[in-house]
Amino acid sequence: MAVSLSKGGNVSLSKEAPGLTAVKVGLGWDPRVTDGTEFDLDGSVFLLNDAGKVRSDADFVFYNNKTSADGSVTHGGDNRSGQGDGDDETVDVNLAGVPADVQRVAFGVTIHDADARKQSFGQVSNAFIRVTNAADGKEIARYDLSEDYSTETAMIFGELYRNGADWKFKAIGQGYAGGLAALAGNFGVNV
Amino acid sequence: MQAFQTGQKSPLSHLTTSNLLTISARVTGPAAEYDLSLFGLDASGKLSDDRYLVFFNQPATPERAVQMQSGARGEKVFTIDLQRLPQTIRRLSLTATVDDGTFGQIDHAEITVSADGRPVASYRVTGRDFQQERAVMLFDVYFKDLWRVGAVGQGFNGGLEALVRHYGGEVADRPGPTPPRPAPNAAPTPPRPSPSPPPAPATPPAPPINLKKITLDKKGESTRISLKKPGHAEPIRVNLNWDRGGKRSGMFGRITAAADLDLGCMFVLNDGQRGVIQALGNSFGSERLLPHILLDKDDRTGAALDGENLTIFRPDLIHTVLVFTCIYEGTNDFTQVGARLSLKDPQGNEIAVHLSNPDIQRTFCGIALIENIGGEIKVTKEERYFVGAQQCDEHYGFGFRWVAGSK
Repeated sequence: MAVSLSKGGNVSLSKEAPGLTAVKVGLGWDPRVTDGTEFDLDGSVFLLNDAGKVRSDADFVFYNNKTSADGSVTHGGDNRSGQGDGDDETVDVNLAGVPADVQRVAFGVTIHDADARKQSFGQVSNAFIRVTNAADGKEIARYDLSEDYSTETAMIFGELYRNGADWKFKAIGQGYAGGLAALAGNFGVNV
Repeated sequence: MQAFQTGQKSPLSHLTTSNLLTISARVTGPAAEYDLSLFGLDASGKLSDDRYLVFFNQPATPERAVQMQSGARGEKVFTIDLQRLPQTIRRLSLTATVDDGTFGQIDHAEITVSADGRPVASYRVTGRDFQQERAVMLFDVYFKDLWRVGAVGQGFNGGLEALVRHYGGEVADRPGPTPPRPAPNAAPTPPRPSPSPPPAPATPPAPPINLKKITLDKKGESTRISLKKPGHAEPIRVNLNWDRGGKRSGMFGRITAAADLDLGCMFVLNDGQRGVIQALGNSFGSERLLPHILLDKDDRTGAALDGENLTIFRPDLIHTVLVFTCIYEGTNDFTQVGARLSLKDPQGNEIAVHLSNPDIQRTFCGIALIENIGGEIKVTKEERYFVGAQQCDEHYGFGFRWVAGSK
């Protein structure tokens, strides 16, 4: 039974799924049903040290850099429209392979070209982040954000973080104005 | 007061603690008319009960938790009592539609949410926020753990029909020259007590929603009478006539007692005064005094050649008038006595209705709705049959207290 988190909530993945070594993080949202420019949402991942910054730009995994330098984090690719059921974008994280000085892996979603298209998360329906066990595909935790965003154009949906030897997942729901550039800059990426 | 931007959401409690909201909305632009409607949707965002679409053909929900009134200059005012809404209704979506034009052409649309008599939220969009949309969702009041509000600002190029489909409703084909009758099962059922028991299962497939304004104009187009020139408030005249007595029932049957039909109206004036003009209770009204609506006589038998006549002398003073007719006694079938009604507006448009109740229970007919919308009179053919005045009132949301009476 997957744990449903609300904003700020966290869950121990190791407890929920003993023996867990790798997770697939799914990001999802509904496609636009109204007329107008499509919402193109992009998932991105930040490998962060204990200061909350990337160690280098290579720790920023996104549509133009699909794999982290160490290979532990792989982005499944860009989905331009949110079509289809279930996850719209996925990120594979080999927990055992995450470098020891990476304390947190944060998952962000940004709206491409939001300002020009006059779009914000408030217009996007049913956004969620979920964590599944890569071994058996079972969902461990899920966070439905749809009431936790408004006029932001970039959001941190959630993060995996170390807790001693364990990994935990936290529902973040923190929004930023300024899109991907602002979000990446916030984590110390040179953009 | 908080000014919302497109996409912005907020728990309602951040704005007000009241459950009584007023949302006023107006669209300003080049089109002759922008229609504002409020969709009452279920938990899955669908219009599973089309009595909860508050729009020009249906200005209130059955229990009147949502009512629409017309303000000045095309403004619509929706009053919402969240506590009285059935628990099946989880989202109220305020929408605007236009027939001749797009929302890319509007100057602006503006809504204001008020509670306890003061504005608590506003939302404004301009034509630059849109392109070819002919229907837009403006503002939502919705329940997700708690009541929330959100500025939506998205729409459909396909207009009201696309919007209704989006909400899971069916759209009746554009009617031909004959206005469709309401389906027999379209009559409202009495309101459920609120708070209602656990959410009812989805109601059976709702009859298609008719989006066409059923007009009284023979040409089927313009139903509007501009009152903008002073002194042009000319009367609207309604005549009801029928044949004396019933037919013989069978070869040896007796002629039934003379049929007594009544003509009347429920009214709300712009100053808020409301009432009923009818023979019952001798409420004949007055030509010279408020409400300037007069019923000329009570023809008890159909003998009078000119029948019964109701005249609205000052359409400029009215807010809403519902013209009705009913069978007082002598028959239970309008067709048996050849009941016919005509309504003439000052421009000479005329509607003729040959009354035909769908069953013997429903002998009360809402004939026509006359509304003063920003200085124009809109006349809408209704011809909806009800079991009585009270049920009719519940449908239209005048909110009178009804007691039994006789004459």
